[in-house]
Amino acid sequence: MNLLDIRNLSIELKTTDGNIRAVDRVSLTMKEGEVRGLVGESGSGKSLLAQAIIGVLDERWIVHADRFHWRNQDLMLLTPEQRKNIITKDVAMIFQEPSSCLDPIKTVGKQLEEAVADQQLSGFFWQRKQQRKTEVVQLLHKVGIKNHEQCYHSYPYQLTEAFCQRVMIAIALAKKPILLIADEPTAAMESKNQGQIFRLLASLNQLKHMSILLISHDLENVTHWTQTITVMYSGQFVEAGTTEQIFAHPFHPYTQALLDSSPNANILISAKAKLTALSGSIPLLKHLPIGCRLGPRCPRAQKECVIAPKTQNFHGHQVNCHYSLKDEH
Amino acid sequence: MLIFTLRRLTLFFFTLVILSVFAFSLCYLFPGEPIVNLTGRINDNAAQLAALKLQYHFNENVFFQYISYLKHIFSGNFGLAMNNQLPIGPLISKLLPATIELSLVALLIALFIGIPVGFIAAIFHRKPIDNTILILSMIGYSIPVFWLGLIAILIFSIYLGWLPSSGGIGLIYEIKSVTGIQFIDILMSDNPFKWQAFRSATMHIILPATVIAIAPATIFIRLARTAMLEVLDTNYIKSAQAKGLTFFEIIYQHAIRNALMKMILHVGLQFVNLMTFAMITEVIFSWPGIGRWLINSIYQRDYTAIQSGLLVLSTFIFIVHILTDFFYAALNPIARGKRFGSR
Amino acid sequence: MQEESVLARDKIYTEEQFPSPLMQLWWHFRHTNVAMIGFWCYLFLLSLAILAPLLTEIGQNSSNLDVLLLPPAWDSAGDVSYLLGTDDLGRSMLSRLINGTSLTFGLSIIVVIISMAIGVMIGSLSALTKGIKSSILNHFLDVILSIPSLLLAIIIVAVLGPNLKNTLWAIVIVLIPQFIRVTRNAIKEEFRKDYVLASRLDGASPLRILRYSVFPNIFERIINQATLAQSAAILDIAALGFLGLGAQFPLPEWGTMLSNGVDLFYIAPWTVYLPGLAIFFAVISTNLVGEGLRHALKQRKES
Repeated sequence: MNLLDIRNLSIELKTTDGNIRAVDRVSLTMKEGEVRGLVGESGSGKSLLAQAIIGVLDERWIVHADRFHWRNQDLMLLTPEQRKNIITKDVAMIFQEPSSCLDPIKTVGKQLEEAVADQQLSGFFWQRKQQRKTEVVQLLHKVGIKNHEQCYHSYPYQLTEAFCQRVMIAIALAKKPILLIADEPTAAMESKNQGQIFRLLASLNQLKHMSILLISHDLENVTHWTQTITVMYSGQFVEAGTTEQIFAHPFHPYTQALLDSSPNANILISAKAKLTALSGSIPLLKHLPIGCRLGPRCPRAQKECVIAPKTQNFHGHQVNCHYSLKDEH
Repeated sequence: MLIFTLRRLTLFFFTLVILSVFAFSLCYLFPGEPIVNLTGRINDNAAQLAALKLQYHFNENVFFQYISYLKHIFSGNFGLAMNNQLPIGPLISKLLPATIELSLVALLIALFIGIPVGFIAAIFHRKPIDNTILILSMIGYSIPVFWLGLIAILIFSIYLGWLPSSGGIGLIYEIKSVTGIQFIDILMSDNPFKWQAFRSATMHIILPATVIAIAPATIFIRLARTAMLEVLDTNYIKSAQAKGLTFFEIIYQHAIRNALMKMILHVGLQFVNLMTFAMITEVIFSWPGIGRWLINSIYQRDYTAIQSGLLVLSTFIFIVHILTDFFYAALNPIARGKRFGSR
Repeated sequence: MQEESVLARDKIYTEEQFPSPLMQLWWHFRHTNVAMIGFWCYLFLLSLAILAPLLTEIGQNSSNLDVLLLPPAWDSAGDVSYLLGTDDLGRSMLSRLINGTSLTFGLSIIVVIISMAIGVMIGSLSALTKGIKSSILNHFLDVILSIPSLLLAIIIVAVLGPNLKNTLWAIVIVLIPQFIRVTRNAIKEEFRKDYVLASRLDGASPLRILRYSVFPNIFERIINQATLAQSAAILDIAALGFLGLGAQFPLPEWGTMLSNGVDLFYIAPWTVYLPGLAIFFAVISTNLVGEGLRHALKQRKES
């Protein structure tokens, strides 16, 4: 069963000069137990998409979609508050820079306790305090923090980034979510710590059958730890498929360029050769191209590309391009 | 924490030294005989003046004069006021608490009005109520406090007759002055008409305290609004929303405490600003405080009174400043590290 | 063919004009209605202050003893030739208020300009020093800034003696530390940035860096402080005038006029509320201009 089924979601920003379409008709599906990566440069709208799913965007942003189903329940018919209530029960999110996501004047233990909902505790209300504390200790152990006493009484500014990210994962786990959205969880860390966090996420996926939507700009990490990948560029859906499909035969010129630009992904480069990269840079919100937004930079662009391409599906490998690389593989 | 305390105390000590040197030098800067300016005895003849000079070590060089001046200050001898030859020390000890009382009440009013209104303006940001609050606070900030006092007397005392317009308490009540703060003295005395006196004192303090409180309240509104807007924009509020906490839980549990923390240092600094407004308002409402006395003395060129009054007032202001700094650092462990250094 | 070329032309980006930061600031300011209202009021007051001697043919000190305490023209007992009534010496309130503009408002501008010049100079020199000198200056500045401006002004006037000239010097002295602090902090902040480092690596002397790289960037912050300082200066001049420590009788400074009117409160309330309204009007216009400037700065940063 599809956990999350989003079709043609658009997010517009209200400005004094009109509405700017930051995210333009993106589709996304998640199955149970799946680890999907959402890849794109900074400015591609991946964080916006995640925030729109969770529902933490303020009123300057307008979200509308053709289809937005959570576990076969249609969420577009509900008001934003109702939507948020249903989603936050089963979906959790962790952010970049975890130390800024914790309240600086409260101890970590208190914040964890806050995340433990009342319904999960049985027993009378004088027993609840102790039960809460036990639950918090269990959560800390689940994310690999053995020294829970010290962690309980510390303030966020006393902890390292990786530690804070574990605490954030613990807070996310408190609700026993079915889907965890990880928005660039390791962007602020060293690589050794990055590996620890990813291993933790992978073990959570295997042991608890929890789906993970991993948002990142680092292609290498994403291809290692995910089963399926969706690629976005400048707010538009570009390509989606299993990791092997995308890695072995990218259909979209942008995905090809991404793979080419990371030296580890492409081992056929000869010594001292120039790395290929697309010329130009991601367009600003004020000057978004019409049609396919990669148009100005794409080496294969032609006149047809001023009209937005329709999604083509080849055995589960979807691509949004008029001149895809399918026939060249 | 210890090092921070030591540094602050050293700074305080040096500031006091500078202040006392400045106050001492005033007796030379004012026209007239320095010894007369220092002690206030304008009617003494030459022999008495010579005796005084000996007492204050005026025959030796300036440094010893300064030390002897300090000794006299510490023993409570501030000299006599020039215009009525009354000793200044006891006078100040009655006047200063009255001003403190007025300022504290005004501070409380300003806090109770300013902070909630500022928070409301931030929570309803960009909606009409935010703009209304901003406009009202700008108007409140621009009204000169002395004019506001006069208009308040015109409306509330003369046209409506609700509140009295001068004095600290009704003239018929005789309260023994122990601490100088009227409310405490009333509660401590055993006058049979205690509660009427209390009521009278309250009626007398409402109008001046509110007039003083208006301008600082608008500053607090602005501070609270900025602090709350900053807090609402942070990552931890977003992740609290993602956690699923309700709006009110977030505001109450996280936002208010963080916003208060951000603005507490500024609140403490506003107290001295408030005291300045209090001094002007005392003149209009004939409140028996140090402001009215000091301004009268300046107008009448009573140099001894000016000198002692300035010393006491500025020392008090610095004590409040240091205490606020200290209090803020004790509350907020992050602030202790970065307050210093010559950059 | 014609239609095709029209379509193609529409799809090319049109050249956008990129205005300088100052022009952007002015554009945002112009589009904030409230700020423009304040701006026009400010200009109105400025022109009154400069043209005051020309506008009032009746000299401010000439008193017409026949018309003592005449109410303003809208009152039944009033007279149109004395539009805002007269005071207890028969002088026209309108002409006194207009002349007072050049005192309270005009002098506040002069005071701000002088203290800005001195403060910015000292501040930039002190920003270039390091070490013990800088730390002593820092502490000294902290000490002075912790005393509220009005109190410090009262202290200085107490030492020098109550009259208008001493008041002005007192307020200049009081406003200088604020400019020193703003300039110093701003310059130190800019010095940490890379474009200043680039100039230094090019071999520019500190003064040259200040003049060409740093000053254009901190200019706006200084102007911002100047608007705050001016509203404080207006209130301080008026407050000292009210307390009898500033402009002495018979100068038509608004604060002094207010204190004159206090005795006549019951029988002639217009002698109290008119000067107060004038002060309020001047302060609000200055504050609106200042607020508009800050708002425009914020909007420019956001867009």
